[in-house]
Amino acid sequence: MRLLTHNYLQSNVKGTEEGYPLGIVPETVEIEKSPVDRELLLSILPKLNYDAVHQAVAQLRLHCSTLPKLPSTLPENISNDENLVNDLYFVLFDVHVKNGCLVCPATQRKFPIKDGIPNMILHEDEI
Amino acid sequence: MSRPELTGPAAHFYNEKEARKYDSSSRMVGVQREITERAIELLRLDHSQPAYVLDIGCGSGLSGQVLEEKGHFWLGCDVSRDMLLVAQERMHNQANDDDDDEGESDDESMDGESNKQQRKSTGDLMHHDMGTGLPFRPATFDACISISALQWLCYSNAAHQNPRRRLTRFFSSLYTVLKRGGRAVLQFYPETAEQAVLITECATRVGFAGGVVVDYPNSAKAKKHYLVLSFDRNSEQKRKAALKDGLSSAAEEPQSVLVTGASREGAKKAPIRKKKGVKTKEWVVHKKETQRKKGKAVRPDTKYTARRRPTKF
Repeated sequence: MRLLTHNYLQSNVKGTEEGYPLGIVPETVEIEKSPVDRELLLSILPKLNYDAVHQAVAQLRLHCSTLPKLPSTLPENISNDENLVNDLYFVLFDVHVKNGCLVCPATQRKFPIKDGIPNMILHEDEI
Repeated sequence: MSRPELTGPAAHFYNEKEARKYDSSSRMVGVQREITERAIELLRLDHSQPAYVLDIGCGSGLSGQVLEEKGHFWLGCDVSRDMLLVAQERMHNQANDDDDDEGESDDESMDGESNKQQRKSTGDLMHHDMGTGLPFRPATFDACISISALQWLCYSNAAHQNPRRRLTRFFSSLYTVLKRGGRAVLQFYPETAEQAVLITECATRVGFAGGVVVDYPNSAKAKKHYLVLSFDRNSEQKRKAALKDGLSSAAEEPQSVLVTGASREGAKKAPIRKKKGVKTKEWVVHKKETQRKKGKAVRPDTKYTARRRPTKF
């Protein structure tokens, strides 16, 4: 599961008020380096919830300290800051949480991640 | 040959063996690819801009691969874990074919930048049942496709599963997670005309505009149904105009429809008749209201409405 996906996932268990953003408890994290696609990153940046990205990276850094540190808010002219663009692309596309779980902030319900695939299947009483 | 949907839940049908068979059959791959290309054509995406596409019932990632070739990135969800594992393998093999000189990339070597222009797969996978609603933030996706998956919602495999409810839940959540102006193209195999009507009905009831495109309508074997959904441009314009005028009752079209039975506006609960043939006042008044809504000429309700007559007419 990439952090890009995590940015959009929320818990839709019945009766959950604020099921976003989901906390990450990583067990295995893998890095698969790929060439930076600048245009792609700049096009998705407006739709991203940056705070959720920042929080997710902070949670992953507890497990994998080589991840880059991100500023707490996005600067204005981000297209000029090459390092930040590369770091953001790396963090969103190249970091894969292979095993672990996602935790709903409101209900603490755990969604397991196995082999890089998060399991969002709801139980019968949560639909 | 009976339909796979009749044998049980999709997760059981698409087990490991079936998943391998599906992915290795070149005929299947060819057909699915063709369908995907047609669906992408119907989506009318701007291929010069990468779009975030949701692939529902992505299975072994065949459709995702086609999306990537067109330059988009995607998120696939499927209810069968075995199919998803096959998809992962496919994505992994695709990546490894592209850069032979990198080898396995599990380690964190920062100098492993590939010299080749090919990118690794930009797709991601999720294990999820579409009938329970899509767990995403509103307006996440630019577009949505689904290849040969939607019809599975029409079959109930457990006591708590009601096809109409599952379809409605699915479509209303799709309405929410699609960005305004986005489109969804869902190819499906309806068993009967009623099924096609049920699916289309559930989709349009939540606010989508659109309908079904049928390719090769004269051939029973080659016939393909594509449900093409978009956001009603007219209602969008009306809504914007009304909001400009500051009318608070403007939003007639639901922006995001929460499907909870009790709170639905104008929930039609048919009043019960006391016994067969005897119409209660409640029933008569309800019926008159329905007729008025249809625009027919109806007498006003007075104290005489549905009064028990002393003598038979």
